[in-house]
Amino acid sequence: MYLRPSMVEEALAALAEGGPTTILAGGTDYYPARVGRPLTEDILDITAIAALRGIGERDGALRIGAAVRWTEIAEAALPPSLRCLQLAAREIGGRQIQNAGTLAGNLCNASPAADGVPCLLALDAEVELASARGTRRLPVAEFVRGNRRTARRPDELMTAIIVPRCAEAARSTFLKLGARRYLVISIVMVAALIEAAPDGAIAAARIAVGACSAAAQRLPLLEAVLRGRRLASGIGCLVAAEHLGELAPIDDVRGTAAYRREAARRLVARALDELAAEAAA
Amino acid sequence: MTRLLEPRAIGMPLERLDGHAKVTGTAPYAFEHALRDPLYLYPLEAAIARGRMTAIDTAEAEALAGVVAVMTPRNAPRLAADDDQELWLLQSEGIHFRGQLVGAVIAQTPEIARHAAALVRIAYEAEPHDAALAADRDDLYKPEQVNPDYAADTDEGDVEAALAAADVAIDATYTTPMEHNNPMEPHTTVAIWEGGVLTLYDSTQGAHSVRTTLAPVFGLAPDKIRIIAPYVGGGFGSKGTAHAHDVLAGLAAQMVPGRPVKFALTRQQMFWLAGYRTPTIQRIRLGAGRDGRLTAIVHEVIEQTARFKEFAEQTATSTRIMYASPNRRTSHRLAKLDVPVPSWMRAPGETPGMFAGEVAMDELAVACGLDPIALRIRNDPAADPQSGKPWSGRKLVECLREGARRFGWDRRAPNPAARREDGWLVGMGVASSTYPAYALPGSRATIRYGEDQRYVVRIGAADIGTGTWTALTQIAADALGCPIEAVRLEIGDSALPHASVEGGSSGINCWGSAIVAAARAFRGQHGAAPVPGAEIGAEMPEDPEAQRFAMHSFGAQFAEVRVNADTGEIRVPRMLGVFSAGRIINPRTARSQFIGGMTMGLSMALHEESVLDPRFGHVVNHDLASYHIAAHADIGDIDAVWLDEVDPHSNPMGSRGIGEIGIVGAAAAIANAAWHATGIRIRDLPITPDKLLA
Ligand SMILES: Cc1cc2nc3c(=O)[nH]c(=O)nc-3n(C[C@H](O)[C@H](O)[C@H](O)COP(=O)(O)OP(=O)(O)OC[C@H]3O[C@@H](n4cnc5c(N)ncnc54)[C@H](O)[C@@H]3O)c2cc1C
Repeated sequence: MYLRPSMVEEALAALAEGGPTTILAGGTDYYPARVGRPLTEDILDITAIAALRGIGERDGALRIGAAVRWTEIAEAALPPSLRCLQLAAREIGGRQIQNAGTLAGNLCNASPAADGVPCLLALDAEVELASARGTRRLPVAEFVRGNRRTARRPDELMTAIIVPRCAEAARSTFLKLGARRYLVISIVMVAALIEAAPDGAIAAARIAVGACSAAAQRLPLLEAVLRGRRLASGIGCLVAAEHLGELAPIDDVRGTAAYRREAARRLVARALDELAAEAAA
Repeated sequence: MTRLLEPRAIGMPLERLDGHAKVTGTAPYAFEHALRDPLYLYPLEAAIARGRMTAIDTAEAEALAGVVAVMTPRNAPRLAADDDQELWLLQSEGIHFRGQLVGAVIAQTPEIARHAAALVRIAYEAEPHDAALAADRDDLYKPEQVNPDYAADTDEGDVEAALAAADVAIDATYTTPMEHNNPMEPHTTVAIWEGGVLTLYDSTQGAHSVRTTLAPVFGLAPDKIRIIAPYVGGGFGSKGTAHAHDVLAGLAAQMVPGRPVKFALTRQQMFWLAGYRTPTIQRIRLGAGRDGRLTAIVHEVIEQTARFKEFAEQTATSTRIMYASPNRRTSHRLAKLDVPVPSWMRAPGETPGMFAGEVAMDELAVACGLDPIALRIRNDPAADPQSGKPWSGRKLVECLREGARRFGWDRRAPNPAARREDGWLVGMGVASSTYPAYALPGSRATIRYGEDQRYVVRIGAADIGTGTWTALTQIAADALGCPIEAVRLEIGDSALPHASVEGGSSGINCWGSAIVAAARAFRGQHGAAPVPGAEIGAEMPEDPEAQRFAMHSFGAQFAEVRVNADTGEIRVPRMLGVFSAGRIINPRTARSQFIGGMTMGLSMALHEESVLDPRFGHVVNHDLASYHIAAHADIGDIDAVWLDEVDPHSNPMGSRGIGEIGIVGAAAAIANAAWHATGIRIRDLPITPDKLLA
């Protein structure tokens, strides 16, 4: 059965029935994974549900609907703290993929190389999960559990991603390293957000690295080192190998584990240097 | 001296005559021919690398609504000739490689066919297979000859003595990985069996060569088989020969007489059913005096073939003609593996061979303390070192000098790792390029003057996106002395006069020569004012000059490379190719061939690598998400220019081929530039960032 409801309630009712149902948003992860095989399960297409569309403010936080596509994120007028997510949006596949794929799909698919995940970790974002039983919210770090594993229960629909409001001064960036210049599965990607006082002192730093472990990870050791430092040229030099202790990169066709670890360190340093240069400008 | 055409239309940058039809979607590619009542084929493929099938259960597939037939070795029509094992399909239970075609489902829709194929259950008796190429295998063998018909080995002088006595010596091993052609249009065949005649709408580089190959396989007289291929979306050699899918479609068509059977390979299947470039392991030894003059060249190649069919790539043949040296040895050794059979991929032989050879020359320049261009000029041979014949026109030195001037080579620091800009290490590299001027026999053209006062020029040539439609029209116009508009060309059909394959960069040479011969015969017979209906045909004449001269094109490839000091990311902001290829028939389409070749060379340098898992004998990264080719954003300012020249010995157009030379040497120029940027010598392609993070 192919369901394409217009109301969230209809979608939740279908999920509550308990049959094998696959939620479909842009289909850009779903389709390539099963080209040429007939459908054996029900499909719940959520792209016609108006309530899942749009980006807006609610209760002082930014709410990105689960059906919002990457192109909409890239083109929205968002505060500078969300620049990392907007930069990532322009590096997800090519334009056609960005026009179809959603941030929520990127999260729910939970690939280790999902470009959206480090951004949302750096933004301290939460996800909203709804089922016929009710609605709950989870930090992204708790939602993404590992390679293709999430905390979503079978009857739950992700309805939104919620990004708390950051300090006015917060700035972020996103860097992606691939084996070619564009259209590439990341070898390493970094999202960094820094909140600095007018005198340059770092009040908060949130740094996340993707594609170097089963799920993207924050770097709490580095964040602690950065707090209180001045955001100024040369800050990237503070990034040391031991700050990446939690990462567990693997060898694959795209790069060796040793290369990933080293490239991650240098990419984090580059991200910090870029934020410092931007603050100085 | 060959009698040259008076150039009027040739040399003009005419827009593609087929361009409008292509961009408006009205030029039919193989799958798109509008045929009545088509059926669709999806293949069954072997899931083991070696052994045999013991049982095939087709019941579930046959029961599926919409399935017309399931074809397996049990019920497949018989074939007539088994000399080519790649094409000997469904005649036994044996398996030679993983992915081998072992059957097919024919159904009302492509979706049903594919679904049903997944329902067929095959039991196997697997035998141990061997799919790992290595230099230290003890079963490497010397092939009788290498593609197309070169000696496998050559040995002149005494290389060992010369190496021992050399002031400077280089001894290094270079590797290139398995690579796949990946044209945009997948290999496709639509087959119809009707009244004892087999018609194939095929995506091919040679309608007649497919016919010649398939007729004996099906046991058909050549006039009972027809190949139609007016438009083809790329081939790069992988459509130069008939492959197994052609036979599978032909067999299937015999099971449903009268109905077209449509079969297009998936992108994934193109990684085992359509040929590929063999991986190579190449040891090169160079000996030279302190002045850089070569005294010894040794090029020893190890590569693979399939156990069930031999293809021996001619990787070291360019080394036989490139540079002067009194002592020279080249050899090819093959491992027979349980893998799909390798085949032609753009400039087979030259492409991997000149990567190794031209990086080795760069290493020699460093060892001698010479500029790499000066080293090449110093070793430029006055005559072909292999045959002793004079060159029909070797202008490598001119290409190198012209390129150096245009590229700003004088700004290049003599030492590596000398230039750093904003965290990027910047370097320049150069490499030579070469490709033989092949002439294949057997092309014929006819010309008929029509009621509409246009000349219909007919030849079974192929346009695989290269510009044949346009270039042959230009040649015909000049040969007839008439405007372009007065020529109506017909190509892409084996019902037309015989044409040689679009391969070895020989198409325009052979087909153009046949058209010129026909035009001259036409004017001789019918004069300048023919009556409608006047017609004549002629064969491509033997070129008497071909025996007297060594005919090769040459070129110089330049690259600027930037390597990120932090991450090893590689960018190629600039490339320049300067080519000497005789007269350029159409500068617009020629430029596309040159820069297309250079782009493919860049892609080879930085990205392309098919990863074969020896445990299963198949390519793991068998799609374009993980088999990387260069993306647009990888390509910077690529420019190609050519020397203004005419080869007076090659053919009446004064041209040589241009389809392949653009890729040759491009990867070496990039590797040499990467060394110049970083001081790190990469001898194993592709050059990925991890190899440059020192
Ligand atoms: C050519 C190509 C290039 C790509 N490049 C990149 C890239 O550079 N970076 C990158 O990160 N990704 C890339 N992707 C992957 C993909 O495009 C992204 O992950 C995209 O964000 C997925 O979103 P979608 O809406 O298409 O998800 P879908 O395919 O529709 O769904 C993905 C998964 O999430 C589930 N799901 C979707 N929405 C919900 C929901 N609201 N609630 C619960 N479950 C849900 C689905 O059931 C499915 O399991 C690429 C894909 C392709 C085909």
